[in-house]
Amino acid sequence: MSVNPSLHLAEYLERLPGTTFKKLYQQPSTTFAIFRRMLPHLAKTFVMRMLFLPHPMTLTDLDAWVKPEAKRKKDQSLSILRSLHIVQISAPSKEKPQEIQLMSNFKKSLRLALTGGGNHNSFGVPSSLLVPPEIDLPFLDRYARKKWEDVLHFVVSSVGYKSSVGDGSGPNKGVKELLIAGRLVDRRPNGSLGITQAGFTFLLQEANAQVWTLLLLWLEVLGNNKGSGLDPVDMLSFLFMLASLELGRAYDTNALTEERRNMLPSLVDFGLIYIPQHKRSMFFPTRLATTLTSGGNSLRTISEGVTAATQSAQTSQQALGPLGGSGGEQAGSVVIETNYRLYAYTQSALQIAVLALFAKLNMRFPDMVAGRLSRASIRQAINFGITADQIISYLAAHAHEQMHRTAALTNKPVLPPTVVDQIRLWQLENERMKTTSGFLFRDFTDDKDYLDTARFSEEIGVLVWKNDHARMFFANKHEQIKDFLKTRKRAE
Amino acid sequence: MDAVDVSEHYEVTAADNSPSLLSIVLDTNPRAWAALDSSLSLAQAISNILVFVNAHLAFSNTNQVAVIAAHVNRAVWLYPAPQNPSATTTTKDNSGDVQMQDVSAETNSSSASANKYPQFAQIESSVFSSIQTLMAETTVQDLDQVTTQLSGALTLALCRINKTAQSLSSSDTTISNAAPVNSTAPPPVKGRIVVISVSDSEPSQYIPTMNAVFAAAHNQVAIDTIALAGDSTFLQQACFNTNGIFLKASNPQGLLTYLMFGLIPDTEARGSLITPTHDTVDFRTACFCHGKVVDTGFVCSVCLSIFCEPPENAECLTCGTILALGNYGAKPAVIPRKKKKKKKITNGSGREETGSATGTPRP
Repeated sequence: MSVNPSLHLAEYLERLPGTTFKKLYQQPSTTFAIFRRMLPHLAKTFVMRMLFLPHPMTLTDLDAWVKPEAKRKKDQSLSILRSLHIVQISAPSKEKPQEIQLMSNFKKSLRLALTGGGNHNSFGVPSSLLVPPEIDLPFLDRYARKKWEDVLHFVVSSVGYKSSVGDGSGPNKGVKELLIAGRLVDRRPNGSLGITQAGFTFLLQEANAQVWTLLLLWLEVLGNNKGSGLDPVDMLSFLFMLASLELGRAYDTNALTEERRNMLPSLVDFGLIYIPQHKRSMFFPTRLATTLTSGGNSLRTISEGVTAATQSAQTSQQALGPLGGSGGEQAGSVVIETNYRLYAYTQSALQIAVLALFAKLNMRFPDMVAGRLSRASIRQAINFGITADQIISYLAAHAHEQMHRTAALTNKPVLPPTVVDQIRLWQLENERMKTTSGFLFRDFTDDKDYLDTARFSEEIGVLVWKNDHARMFFANKHEQIKDFLKTRKRAE
Repeated sequence: MDAVDVSEHYEVTAADNSPSLLSIVLDTNPRAWAALDSSLSLAQAISNILVFVNAHLAFSNTNQVAVIAAHVNRAVWLYPAPQNPSATTTTKDNSGDVQMQDVSAETNSSSASANKYPQFAQIESSVFSSIQTLMAETTVQDLDQVTTQLSGALTLALCRINKTAQSLSSSDTTISNAAPVNSTAPPPVKGRIVVISVSDSEPSQYIPTMNAVFAAAHNQVAIDTIALAGDSTFLQQACFNTNGIFLKASNPQGLLTYLMFGLIPDTEARGSLITPTHDTVDFRTACFCHGKVVDTGFVCSVCLSIFCEPPENAECLTCGTILALGNYGAKPAVIPRKKKKKKKITNGSGREETGSATGTPRP
């Protein structure tokens, strides 16, 4: 991920300076969202315990909370809390034990978020206008899904797999520019668009991470562009606010600040919000926006489980089509067996195209595709620039419900270990040869000359390979060796 | 080349993101709360509990809560609000649906504030309106009851956890019906019940309460208790049996601190935290004949029913077995115990005696 180091939210946040956090934590909704999204479970427990403490507490007290075997988890939690500027730990000194406390801004805002009250309006002002009856949850889901699939299709189709259900429209021009600027796709010399390695990473992420990736790209592009007059911190806090809005409710655009209102068209392009054509003063957050703070891969939420259960009971045909995960794809549809066969219960041309990147698909049924992973298909994917880790995490994120259940029953990993290992081994096959650029030294006049020089290069750590018999060695830097040889010559 | 290592397996497991369902059972015994009023009124307690509920919901957007009132004569849902019977039971779990149906008029007015997370506002309005109805419906006759009907509320909480778990695990129904769920598998939802108790345990409730407790233990549901007042014997046992936390609050006005500090970690976080323990558990039980809490009693050798005194005709009231009492009441002969030789401790260590005269040879 050297191309785009800020594709992940955690990394993006960690790079922000402390003053930015101070600003972010002024809004209860932002504080609430960061708490929910960014912290591991144990860290959340720590924060909650410290939230209503009037005084700082000593670090040794904190140690006493935690079982000795969980010390590593505790240290991890603390370091995350520190990097997000949530806790403050006093410097160690002799007269006073080290103390830990929540940052005052964070504490105040989180308390406000939990108790309600205040006058910050950070959880969105609902619109008082009449909601058009046709805008309901399925409508918003369909809308968000369509928008997001457009974006993904644009990225996928640049590989060369043309989607069969292409609608011709594709995402907006602004989104396209953004994808190019973010180097998810780039312009090839012949004018066509080609996907980059970052683009593959993007495709193989699960929906929630994809949304964040795109949003962070957008923040970065706008942040670099000083003329836009948008403050990245304010935008970030607006995004967090969107995440705490209620799905299916209309909000008032007039209550937003000028800058935030300027962001709305872009958010419409991403499918995060919906603005009715004839009522421009209200907006609806879609599921893409309201699940921004759901952690890692919590696609299988309770409400979705219930929806799926009731819908499959009512109409068995509809069960295939309804809102799946929070994003553009149905949650969990891929089954992979120990014999490398792969089945995906999907109709989505998009998901099929993604699977075709690394699997050889040979059968297609009305609601299912079947294929297998083979050495050739994985090698092809690796040639595209996809890594084994990306493939594996894609398979894990999209594993079928049944895979999860079997894994839970037998206490085994979700993906068959043999397949996971083999995918990695196939990748390693390509990495057997390592190239190092450098210099070959040979034709030494006598043995002593050779041995001295080789020893010297070994001592300064530039020796890569040597062959005493042929009196040759290979070093990746030559300046110091040249000097060494010169001084030797002078001494003679 | 060295990177190819067969011994190392890369295991991909699903991250543990199963949602956590917190059921709060609030003892709403009017007498007990009246007695507590000087230090903590019911209204204050409810607002403290709501903050705790919000804190739980803040952990993850998959987390859920249920609030149940254990009243003097019945158990009542506070959240999700009870709904008109025409609504199907399946939609009840989806909190969004509940709100759309029965408080749609209310949502516009009560939770229109932009200063509050919408879900929190919903819960707050639902709990407040339900508890007002409950208090309005309480008659003078109801107050004759001194203690609280706890078992019903516990059972309701368990039913909800079970229903949520089932609706989660059976998202595709056909397969799960064929394969019965293994009991060793982790449940799809981490259930937890927090009881806020203010009154004594009612001995006549012993059996239904304990049935609920064992059902909870079987389903890996922890029962936590915070006892603000009263002598809650059975709840101590409930917490002990389900690996829950029992807190005796000596300062009821600090309810929020007790809740936030002692009861915020859910079953997952408890794996790595040292939880407050209760050193003494009141294990006394209630007899089957009079419902009295007994220290020493009589046990039927067949069905293990407990009686505070020998039943009539020496016939077990539960299974009807004729029981012979032996020479009960006779003074037992005291046989002096043989003096045991004190074992010598070798090397001053607490090592177990192996029986061999010589120690383990050392190199």
